[in-house]
Amino acid sequence: MKQKTDVLQGTLALMVLKTLDVLGPLHGYGIARRIEQISGDVLAVNQGTLYPVLLRLEHEGAIASEWGASENNRRARFYRLTREGRKQLQVETQGWEQTAAIIEKFFAVKTGDLS
Amino acid sequence: MKSLKRFFKRLFNSAARRIQEERLREEIAEHIALQTEENLRDGLSSVEARRQAMLKFGGVEAMKQDYRAERGLPFFENLLGDLRNALRTISRMPGLAAVIILSLAIGIGVNTTILSWIQLIMLQPLPAVSGALNFLVVEPRTDTGGYPGASWLEYRALQMQLPALRDLVAFEMVPFNVGEKGQTERTHGQLVSGNYFSALGLKPAIGRFIRPEEVERTGTEPVVVISYDYWQTRFRGAPEVVGQKLRVNEHDLTVIGVAPRGFQGTMLPLKFELWAPATMTPALLGGARDLQDRTSRAFSLIGILRLGATREEAQTEFSTAMTQHARDYPEASAGITGEILPFWKAPRGPQRMLMTGLAILQGVMLLLLLAVCGNTANLMLARGSTRQREMAVRVALGAGRWRIVSLVLSENMLLALFGTGLGVALAVWGTTALRVAPMIGAFPIQFQTRVDGLTLAFAILLGVACGLIFSAAPAVHLARLDPQEGLREVSNTPPRSRARKVLMAAEVGLAMVVLIAAALFLQSFRSARQTDPRFRPEGVLLASYDLSGRNPNEASEREFAARLLERLRSLPDVEDAAIATNVPLDLHGIPARTFTVEGRVRTEPGQDRATTNTVTPGYFKVMGIPLVEGNDFAEMRDKAAPAQAIVNEEFVRRYLNGADAIGRRIQTRAGSFAIIGVARNAVYNSFGEPPQPAVYFSYRDVPAMQGELHLKTRSGNETALTSEARAVLRDVDPMLPLYDVRTFPQHIERNLYLRRIPARMFVVLGPLLLGLAAIGIYAVVSYAVARRTKEIGLRLALGATSGRVVLQIIRENLGVIIWGTAIGWLLALVLSLRAIPKGAVDVPVFIGVPAILLSVATLACWIPARRASRIDPMAALRHE
Repeated sequence: MKQKTDVLQGTLALMVLKTLDVLGPLHGYGIARRIEQISGDVLAVNQGTLYPVLLRLEHEGAIASEWGASENNRRARFYRLTREGRKQLQVETQGWEQTAAIIEKFFAVKTGDLS
Repeated sequence: MKSLKRFFKRLFNSAARRIQEERLREEIAEHIALQTEENLRDGLSSVEARRQAMLKFGGVEAMKQDYRAERGLPFFENLLGDLRNALRTISRMPGLAAVIILSLAIGIGVNTTILSWIQLIMLQPLPAVSGALNFLVVEPRTDTGGYPGASWLEYRALQMQLPALRDLVAFEMVPFNVGEKGQTERTHGQLVSGNYFSALGLKPAIGRFIRPEEVERTGTEPVVVISYDYWQTRFRGAPEVVGQKLRVNEHDLTVIGVAPRGFQGTMLPLKFELWAPATMTPALLGGARDLQDRTSRAFSLIGILRLGATREEAQTEFSTAMTQHARDYPEASAGITGEILPFWKAPRGPQRMLMTGLAILQGVMLLLLLAVCGNTANLMLARGSTRQREMAVRVALGAGRWRIVSLVLSENMLLALFGTGLGVALAVWGTTALRVAPMIGAFPIQFQTRVDGLTLAFAILLGVACGLIFSAAPAVHLARLDPQEGLREVSNTPPRSRARKVLMAAEVGLAMVVLIAAALFLQSFRSARQTDPRFRPEGVLLASYDLSGRNPNEASEREFAARLLERLRSLPDVEDAAIATNVPLDLHGIPARTFTVEGRVRTEPGQDRATTNTVTPGYFKVMGIPLVEGNDFAEMRDKAAPAQAIVNEEFVRRYLNGADAIGRRIQTRAGSFAIIGVARNAVYNSFGEPPQPAVYFSYRDVPAMQGELHLKTRSGNETALTSEARAVLRDVDPMLPLYDVRTFPQHIERNLYLRRIPARMFVVLGPLLLGLAAIGIYAVVSYAVARRTKEIGLRLALGATSGRVVLQIIRENLGVIIWGTAIGWLLALVLSLRAIPKGAVDVPVFIGVPAILLSVATLACWIPARRASRIDPMAALRHE
């Protein structure tokens, strides 16, 4: 249970960073929608879990937030990527890609290939 | 780095909690609003759109929890909450809290004070000297086990012979008469070697210290260093003191500097005011031959190890050197070896005696603190049982075990904290009280005790340990609570709490041990006080004079004593007067000397010893010691009579098998003496000592520079004699001060000073402990009874008399208490038998203390039991 959340939180953070990188400053709902559009079910049920992640990223300095106006002119909290966040995104993307590549290779290996 | 940043953000957030909460609420609202609009656009009804939006967002409360956990510092916030809660809980039970805090404070305060004292002796034997622990005492030792000190020439040789020691320092304690004719004041100082101040690593407050070259040639450098206190009190701290002349023992000494604040010399706990070069000895001590005479072992030595050298190396070198001295100078050094010891084992001075006493005291006081903990644990446990319901509700609402434990812990720790704070305040007061310097047997003594880092750490450690000890039982008890049981239980009879009873028994047992220890101590102290000293101190005035510093010889000393006595006896209120070299019951003891006596052949190895005192004729009359045989000494000016001695009954019994003593000869180092009388035994060194063999010599035969005047009054008002005695002495010798004037009872009181401190502590702490035990029992019984209201009501309704109910409650609890008492009693018995192997068991104490403890315990059971038996059965049954 706990491990699953950790993985989710880890990937969720990366998704948040990437979203902000691509789309620029965005409020919580916008981020959630974007992630939902791309990943489908990760946030389908618990969009709320996004907010603790946002807060953590903000504490770490990867993102910053300020009040702004939403599409329908109400007050909303907008998050944007900081320079530090961009760096972190780069590092983590690389790491993620490497991991993904290794895992992919690993799964691609058939028993026959090893003999 | 990142985590540190997060930590500070969190810390900030903890503070700005409300703003954050508001922000989250707003964000959630906006999120859901946006999602709802989206859903509306997708064609859902407005109600459904909002419902779907909420569903998609997920559990708001759980999320908030996560968010909060991410945001703040839950551990600290909980702790803060717990502490607030604890403070509230404590303020709701002021009486109980006061008892707990006060008893803890006393326990911790007393323990800390004693530790600061032990620490002073063990770790700071040389106040104001840094690294004092590196110093060792270097003590020549005779084959009979005495520590005679070192001679100056021996010291000079040892400086070369002990390469393991970086510095070897010599000093001699001397009484000084400071001031001009007619108004001299007596102080104490040390005559020191040239490296004294440099080896101790001291820096003068002002001026300079004695230089090594000033301690090279005899009597050429009349300089003196004064203590900081002396500078402040006699010269009001004026810097011009440097260069001034000070008249010391009728010699002008130039003040060259002031010792740093707090430095009191090198013979703890004695406090010295003046330091002069050792080479001034002949001038200041009236032609003393200390510098040339190898048999004059007047100096004490301390040394500091060279870097990398060990005490063992130094010891080996010292032993070799002493063997060589014994070979080269057999008349002075035969049979003398040496020991190098850490300061706190110094054989001369009170360190050893104090250490044992203090260690015992500390042990007893730690036991007392443990009893306080047991008591507190019991009180908390009893209270905890009434809070079962509260805790059960908390558990049912989802509080974890750890939360319950931390709740209980924070309450108890807060109590312990308050107790420690108050205890430290007590210790500060206690250590300051100990610093007051009393005069003990003419010597000013000072213990520079204080609460410093180490003692403070000790106090805090004790506080935390106490907190943990008395938290453990209630915390475990409450954390194990089953919420269902806890909630349902109220209407049931509570299960008997075994923990509480065991604690009660343990506490009573501990109280038993400490009370018996206290009682034994007091008993021995009191019986010592009540013991007949076998002389009569009432109505006797004591005063000292000292002729050192005026080149006395035997004839002048004898003449001085004779003239002084004549003049004193002529005073109307003086019944009789005498002079002696020693006063019984002196803290420093009366010397014992070796001798041989005609008609006695010693079979076992070693030498015969007897307590010796040199007295003038009339001494036995003044002291009220009857002569059972023979006569008093010949008159002071009698030149015809041979050298005389008077022995006591114990001497006759032990060394002469009760045979006739008169006419036999005693041979000592000082010569041969004929026994002319037998005196009754008296007390010499301490009350309650077994009879000591003693020999009295006559002042006529062996006069001394120093003397203790004994004046027996007719009227019994001995203090009124003081000024007359001073006037007489001024007539005989205008320069000589009469010092240390005190009545004999005062002398005895003062010399019991060190014994009195622990005795007083016991007097206060004994009843306190009894009170604590009673409170503990009372609390346990009354809580237990309160929980059984219904049962008691039922019994009363069924016809039980209130007397039976009371009896039953008392019987139940007293059973446990008796167990505790019995175990404690046995423990105390074993301890007392081990501590005093040959001493008889003090029956009144071993019967009286348990009797008192049990009656107090019964009373403590009876009060709540009686209250319970008086309840109205109907009310009790309707209860709950």
